[in-house]
Amino acid sequence: MPVTLVDRLPLPNLKVYTAGSVLLLSVAVYYAVSVTNDPNWRTNTTVQALEGAAQGPTGDAALSPPPLRAPLQLTNDTGNVTEQMVEVISFMMQEPLCIWTLVNGAYCALGVAGCALRRLVFGRLRVAEAQRIKDKFWNYVFYKFIFVSGVVNVQYMDEVLLWCSWFTLLGCLHLLAQLCKDRFEYLSSSPQPARWAHARLLALLAGVLGAAGTLLAAAARWGLPVGRDTFAFMAAECVLVGVTALHVVARFVLRARDADPAGPAAYYTHLVFDSVSLATELAHVAHMVVHCNALVSMASLVLLMQLRHLLHALLARLRRHRIYTALAHHMRRNYPMASREEVEENEDNCAICWEPMKEARKLPCSHLFHNSCLCRWVQQDASCPTCRRALSAAADAARRPRPPRPLRPLHPLRPLRPPPLAPHDPHAPHGPQLAANVNRANHFFHFDGSRYVSWLPSFSVEVRRVRADAPPDPPADSQLEAMARQVQQVFPQFSLDALSEDLAHTRSPDRTVDNILAGRLLPHPHQHHQQHQHHQRHGDVSHAEEPPATVTAPESPGPAEHAPGPAEHAPDRFGVLERPRDSGEWQVRFSVSAAERQRTLQRRKDQLLAAARRRYLLRDRRQPAAPPAPAAPPATAAPAAQPPFK
Amino acid sequence: MAGSALRRLMAEYKQLTLNPPEGIIAGPINEENFFEWEALITGPEGTCFEGGIFPAKLIFPPDYPLSPPKMQFICEMFHPNIYADGRVCISILHAPGDDPMGYESSAERWSPVQSVEKILLSVVSMLAEPNDESGANVDAAKMWREDRKQFNKIAEKLVRKTLGLPSP
Repeated sequence: MPVTLVDRLPLPNLKVYTAGSVLLLSVAVYYAVSVTNDPNWRTNTTVQALEGAAQGPTGDAALSPPPLRAPLQLTNDTGNVTEQMVEVISFMMQEPLCIWTLVNGAYCALGVAGCALRRLVFGRLRVAEAQRIKDKFWNYVFYKFIFVSGVVNVQYMDEVLLWCSWFTLLGCLHLLAQLCKDRFEYLSSSPQPARWAHARLLALLAGVLGAAGTLLAAAARWGLPVGRDTFAFMAAECVLVGVTALHVVARFVLRARDADPAGPAAYYTHLVFDSVSLATELAHVAHMVVHCNALVSMASLVLLMQLRHLLHALLARLRRHRIYTALAHHMRRNYPMASREEVEENEDNCAICWEPMKEARKLPCSHLFHNSCLCRWVQQDASCPTCRRALSAAADAARRPRPPRPLRPLHPLRPLRPPPLAPHDPHAPHGPQLAANVNRANHFFHFDGSRYVSWLPSFSVEVRRVRADAPPDPPADSQLEAMARQVQQVFPQFSLDALSEDLAHTRSPDRTVDNILAGRLLPHPHQHHQQHQHHQRHGDVSHAEEPPATVTAPESPGPAEHAPGPAEHAPDRFGVLERPRDSGEWQVRFSVSAAERQRTLQRRKDQLLAAARRRYLLRDRRQPAAPPAPAAPPATAAPAAQPPFK
Repeated sequence: MAGSALRRLMAEYKQLTLNPPEGIIAGPINEENFFEWEALITGPEGTCFEGGIFPAKLIFPPDYPLSPPKMQFICEMFHPNIYADGRVCISILHAPGDDPMGYESSAERWSPVQSVEKILLSVVSMLAEPNDESGANVDAAKMWREDRKQFNKIAEKLVRKTLGLPSP
């Protein structure tokens, strides 16, 4: 890769480069002035150029324009400043060394202008952005070098110069467009909208688009007469820049119109832009391959590799789209969109992207998600992300040639597992995995935290495999409802919804009753409205094979509560967090500025470490001989001023 | 794709900052790269890791939360379920698609409703209750089973180390 190689080159920074260029330029100007002071300079150089032309017919004859007017100008040489300037410039255009200095000066000016623009619009670049730009820049330089040297087969120096300046301009636009894209992504993810930054970005994007349009017009004006190929080469780059910039603008529009970031409008916009830019690039590279007729050259090799890469990218994009449409179709048919009331009633965000839902798709287990979030997830794993209920039919719709994963009719456990089963065994036998899984007996784990410390909760986990003779499909809705009513007659305090949800998993009224009696199913589970956590707690309630307290196990419910039982602890989890405490620890502000967030985080880390150290030393002093005392009373061990552990 | 991952990570960061679970701090190492976090985990009380502050690194994939992050302790660790290089071996960090060992049911593995907070909480409970049947670190598992005293001694040493205190 060219990028890694370039990284090792000692490149001067912009300041040094600018200083060097200015110095070189002034030396060249001084030289030109001193030469043109001699009234006979034209004759001298003309003679030299003519001699050079005579000796080497293929030399840079094109560079030195035929000095027809030279004898004329010789006579009326005056001290007039403007005329001298013209003299100096025309001399510099003839002298190859001076030309290179001028070109270098132009590049330097462009670099400085680009830097100023960057500073004006973006401020300091983030490391990721800078890295991306660097990669992109060197890749661009590499491919353009291939293009100029291997594809268009330039003969003359001025042609090279023309192509170089063309690509330089386009390269600048490319980089700016890329920067806009990165920055927009960053801005749209930061907690508060920065209107001013957005406005500057939009202005720059408009400028980029305008420049790309102008360049396209220039290509049509000067490229077309040269030949269609030249025009196509020139236009492709302009189109690419335009598409990138337009894509960012489209994102702006989507965002401004408050479009669902995972909705179909956004999806199809991205699809169109992605495929257009990939297809354009593909056509561009293919054109280059066809155009460079020497098939076995380094350039064509590189181009073919690039072509292959692009083709793969495009095909992958289209394949993804095919899967997306297949899944979307399947989901449209099988999982209805949630009604407006359902979405409004459900105050949670989408559990996948944590963003609010304006419309949602409802799974049979009555969990709601964004359509496209769900789509992307189901491509990976055909189950409900929240309760892990298998959506086996969805798998078939998107299933690629590989054999379907055996979706075992597991009892849907809550996703977060307590430790006993959590770590998986790297040394487990590879062979009869499935059989082993099916035949595994029920597991029952019990953790009694109060044995160790008063604040640790107790919980138990039961892992039960569904009996093999259990019906693979959940009972039909009407059946469920009938069963739910049956149970509700006994336990009227439970809502019908909660009961049918549990029944959907237990598939037997008896076991649901068991769950209720064991305190694993709680009445009125829907009255809490903590965002994000809803799904998780939802899981607690509906998949009652596990007691609901597992997730809260490592958390301290506060010094006042002593080993709460699972039933009373679970719904209180967020109540505990919300209870005002005198510690400032969790009342930290989430600042808008990245630097301040960073500082806050660092301060919190330092505080935690300092508190832990203090507490450790204190405990050490109290019990010098007993290393990790199992029942150290934390409430008294911690000094009152320590926020995190009371 | 990276955009939605970034937004979700930002939301999680915000939540972890405003509502942190006891003894757990997590956030990006440097906001220039939101896909690399550092977390500080307090050893659960009443266990041999009590009092230690264990730093770990979390690396998020670009398609987070569809794929799980990777987690690795950056301090020395001696625990049956932590590899010698610090990588943590718990099932919720395993992608649902690949099941190299065929050991876990998909229900135990990653799902996008999981979060950094839940991962860290499970790691805390893993510290409290090692699963010695599945050893990422066989020596530690063996010692945990057979010589708890020695295990506790080593853990104590690690705790002191993470606090920057000299070994006794």
